[in-house]
Amino acid sequence: MLGVLIEKELKSILQSPKFVATFGVCSLLILLSVFIGINEYRASVAQYETATNWVDQQIAEATTFENLPTRVYRQPSPMQIFVSGVNYDIGRLSQISIEQDVKLEQSAYSDDPIFAVFRYIDFTFIVQVVLSLFAIVFTYDAINGERESGTLKLVLSNPIARGQYLLAKLVGSWLGLTIPLLIPILIGLLLVIAFGVPMTETDWLKLVTLIGVSVLYFTFFIALSLLVSALTRQSAVSFLFLLVVWITLVLIVPRGAVMAAGQLVEVPTVAEIESQKDRYRADAQGDLRATSNLRFQEMMAPAQGFGEAERRAFYTANIDLYTEETNRLRAEMEVVIEQNNRRVNENLRNAKAEQERLAFLLSRVSPASAFKLTAMNLGGTNTSMKNRYEDQMLAYRETYNSYIETRWQQEQEEQEQLLASQRAGGGRNVNVAGSGNQAIDTSDMPRFVASEESIVEVFLASILDFGLLTIFTLIAFAGAFFAFVRYDVR
Amino acid sequence: MFKIILDKELREIIGTTKFAVTFGVCAVLILLAFYVGARNYQISVQEYDASVTENMRQMEGVTDWANIDHRIFLPPQPLAALVSGVSNDIGRTVNMDVRGELRPEGSRFAEDPIFAVFRFLDLEFIFAIVLSLFAILFGYDAINGEKERGTLSLSFANSVPRDKYILGKIIGSFLALIIPLMIPILIGCLMLPLLGVPMNADSWLRLAMVILTGTMYFAVFLTLSVFISTLTQRSSTSFLVLVVAWVFAVLIIPRSSVLAAGRMVDVPSVDEVDFEKGKYSAQLFDERMNAMQAWTQANYQSDHRLMMEGMQAFRSEQQALVDEKMGIFVEQLNQERDNKADLRTGVALSLARISPTASFSLAASDLAFTSMDLRASFVDAASAYQQEFADFMRSKNADFGGDVFVGHGAPVVVEEPDPIDTRELPLFAYEPPPASEAINESLPDLGLLFMFNAFFFAGAFVRFNRYDVR
Amino acid sequence: MSNESASVDNTQSNSNSGNGSSAPRLEAFNLSKRYEDGVLALNNVSFQVAPGEIYAMLGGNGAGKTTTINVFLNFIEPSEGEARIDGIVAHKEPLKAKEHIAYVSENVMLYPNFTAIQNLDFFAKLGGHTGYTKDDYRDVLLRVGLQEVAHNKRLKGFSKGMRQKCGIAIAILKDAPAILLDEPTSGLDPSAGLEFIRLLGDLRSEGKAILMSTHDIFRAKEIANTIGIMNQGVLVMERAAKDLEGENLEDLYVQYMAGHTDSEQDVEIIS
Repeated sequence: MLGVLIEKELKSILQSPKFVATFGVCSLLILLSVFIGINEYRASVAQYETATNWVDQQIAEATTFENLPTRVYRQPSPMQIFVSGVNYDIGRLSQISIEQDVKLEQSAYSDDPIFAVFRYIDFTFIVQVVLSLFAIVFTYDAINGERESGTLKLVLSNPIARGQYLLAKLVGSWLGLTIPLLIPILIGLLLVIAFGVPMTETDWLKLVTLIGVSVLYFTFFIALSLLVSALTRQSAVSFLFLLVVWITLVLIVPRGAVMAAGQLVEVPTVAEIESQKDRYRADAQGDLRATSNLRFQEMMAPAQGFGEAERRAFYTANIDLYTEETNRLRAEMEVVIEQNNRRVNENLRNAKAEQERLAFLLSRVSPASAFKLTAMNLGGTNTSMKNRYEDQMLAYRETYNSYIETRWQQEQEEQEQLLASQRAGGGRNVNVAGSGNQAIDTSDMPRFVASEESIVEVFLASILDFGLLTIFTLIAFAGAFFAFVRYDVR
Repeated sequence: MFKIILDKELREIIGTTKFAVTFGVCAVLILLAFYVGARNYQISVQEYDASVTENMRQMEGVTDWANIDHRIFLPPQPLAALVSGVSNDIGRTVNMDVRGELRPEGSRFAEDPIFAVFRFLDLEFIFAIVLSLFAILFGYDAINGEKERGTLSLSFANSVPRDKYILGKIIGSFLALIIPLMIPILIGCLMLPLLGVPMNADSWLRLAMVILTGTMYFAVFLTLSVFISTLTQRSSTSFLVLVVAWVFAVLIIPRSSVLAAGRMVDVPSVDEVDFEKGKYSAQLFDERMNAMQAWTQANYQSDHRLMMEGMQAFRSEQQALVDEKMGIFVEQLNQERDNKADLRTGVALSLARISPTASFSLAASDLAFTSMDLRASFVDAASAYQQEFADFMRSKNADFGGDVFVGHGAPVVVEEPDPIDTRELPLFAYEPPPASEAINESLPDLGLLFMFNAFFFAGAFVRFNRYDVR
Repeated sequence: MSNESASVDNTQSNSNSGNGSSAPRLEAFNLSKRYEDGVLALNNVSFQVAPGEIYAMLGGNGAGKTTTINVFLNFIEPSEGEARIDGIVAHKEPLKAKEHIAYVSENVMLYPNFTAIQNLDFFAKLGGHTGYTKDDYRDVLLRVGLQEVAHNKRLKGFSKGMRQKCGIAIAILKDAPAILLDEPTSGLDPSAGLEFIRLLGDLRSEGKAILMSTHDIFRAKEIANTIGIMNQGVLVMERAAKDLEGENLEDLYVQYMAGHTDSEQDVEIIS
């Protein structure tokens, strides 16, 4: 009996012209989003390679280690094909140098605002917005439509329990809508392989999970539509109601929640933070200058009444000590500045984290938010992406800076020797910086390699949303059962 | 006759629960958008003021003008809260320097990616997405619904001219839907000054135009719905067709067009251009270093002070030369890239304008001044200010060369100088262009919306004349 | 209320049972239905339909005919009394009861995207018959008068008469001992109506108990064994058809509609 009902449900959906049209549109959109994603990914990769090559080249052509700055870029990841998240909103690169703090700058959108006018279309977007609408369009009249056409009465004039009937509706609708959608999804995966996108095993695992969450999200909307259909007598009413619910859940709640959190939790602006840091640095540098001036005076004090030649000799004899000390002071200063920067950044991060926690908590009232947030988690393009990269770049900066410092010391020593031999040979003091025109040896320079989040972390973070979606769906199903048992079939 | 039909249309729509529900939802959303927009504006202004103040503060106590870090900021636009456009995607801060290129950094979304996750709920969003659905909901069965109910044949059992009927239908639906919506919109407008958003005549004009554009956009979807209704026999079919059309117009076409244009027009990336500039700059640096070296060797003299003076003079000369060359090169490179980028933008937006939603969004952001022009305008203003700033710094002898002169010579020892007076610094004042310019920018899109309307209207007219009313 | 003062004169209808046993297949026993807003849709209705008998229930719109059928189908529960099918009480054992009835609704819609045969197949299986072949369906559709060309066409394009035929075909295929029909001939042209009536006669000969609600006085008179008239939830008249042979059923109908009743008790109720 159940089998008969499920079979009829399936056939009913698959044989309707409505299905052919809407399924066609959805498939097209899924494939389009994957295709666009792949193209954008490849363009990003090309851009990344050009940029890093140029940085390498620049380093290779450098002639001194002094304050040698570099840049590091975020490497594009294949999962961004499916979930663009905040990938194009946050900076793509950071300057790495002794003086500057790490900060992601130049986002794709700020470089090329044309892309920000309408934004991106990715697989997650299609699922979140279009597929949910698709589910509603098909299931909104599952119960009341049959009532309106009289077939509900006819079916229930046979010995079929209500629970059985609803279960068959559920299973039949689900199979009839979800299974066909797997076709364009699978084709999309084939496209990914065909275009040679380098997916690691972890990437595949994440992708499969993403598809799983998408199916769960889609199922929620089927369950919701069934529920509303079993609560209303006319299909026009259930459709209107579901449309309003869809607008609220998909379009309004997520934005509203973030904006509410923005108003409820205060966060210092980045401009304030930057100024604080600059101020601190300026003060510290001023202090350093004052101190080293003082030291210099102290050092040269004994040479007060000397003649020029003696003065110069005295200077030469003592300058090394002075330089050593000044360098030490500078290094200490940098450490202190660094600590302050860390502190200030920490405060900012904590405030932002709190705001974010509140925002996402509020937004999870809507399954659309839960879905998007977990998708971004899986795609590695969630809001912590910025922090993650900046942290890694920070660590790299330490390694890089110490490397630069060491090599700079070496270079200075070499130059000293050169100057000494020059002086000995009676040459003129050349007061110009730079050691010469030969390129420095950078073959042992540490490279920036970003590490991926551990898959365990990613999955643990997604459990909450998975669970939430499941609960939402189960509640909707349960509600539908309860409503249908009391449904007036006349 | 026309009046009778118009009247009936009005009553038929306004009395229903469907109208009450959808109108309620739209009204709440519109009021919410105005309220939140006003609050957001206030917050943005606070942020802006804080930034400017902090910028001044961190310069206090600095003793040498050459050592200051000066930043200028883009003030928030009052209408940006209602039509966000790309205002949250472009940088709002420019690090000011006496020379060199200026690049806005620190967009809202880059600094607070949390807002980029779901973006903002602004008036433009509500018009573009919700109002269009609203129009479809009421227009999809305008003709075929009446046929299904049997009232169409009944009506035409009287001497009703077809054109009057369809005209009455369309205008009746339009008035019945748009006039009630004006209520929350007007309330929202009144809220703005009450919530502390400074609206001058210019801003009011812009806002009025945005609302007008929104109304025309709404009309496009209404006439489209009625048109589709005359093309199909069953209302369920026209509804499905319209939902699909909506998905494409609102969600798919604009985005896909931009991405397609991105692939079709090859624009060198910002990185590539930066690299070219960097390469050339390094080249110029080398040349200048060589020149300095040559000069030093040629002009060595024992009087250290005289030598330093001569060196300064030569350096300034060289610097000026380098600046000029660099300026020309950068100009040229930027021009090339801009041309290509403009081409890409042109292709993208032309393709996107297949969708009336794109036309509406573009017109609205032009009017609110949150289109891509905002960035260009900001950069232009910053460049103009840079001149002023450079002159000022020169007058304070703080205009050093592009590199820092690090020497192993004796540091010049002087007494601790007085701190600078930050009030001497010229202020950066940003003025958006006048409303008339914005309106001019938006005219093509307004025209396009008008044409969409005319086309669908004409289509409905023609089809209905031959419609089978039985 | 005791059986004695039942509002319906039904002693004669029992003796009219056709072939088969005389135990009633369908029985309404003091059925009453009161809604929450106080409306009394059924007021102590009792009647019986024996195997091989057609019971025609006449009455105006809202008289309670459809409500009665809905109680048999357990679409609503009676406030008092019972509806029994082959002795099974409908609201106590609904699933068991439904094994014994076939139903043809007032406006047969069925599934528009399925063909006639697909619709038949689905409902036959629901009714417990999994063994029918395509030929069986074809035969039944031909028996009810649907031309072969229409058998594999989708129901979307069917006229009312064609759909009605499918409805009766479904009822035939279920092969249940009792059949409930709600206004089966409304909207059918005279020849289709005639065909339909003939079919009902065949089914009666097979021993089915048939309850039919209708507006059509003349068809009722032609085919029914018993005629009942409902007015405002009360069964105001019940006569064997042959008792009404000489009478003008139309006048009677109007009379009963105007308030006349066979029972004194109901005079109180109606006035």
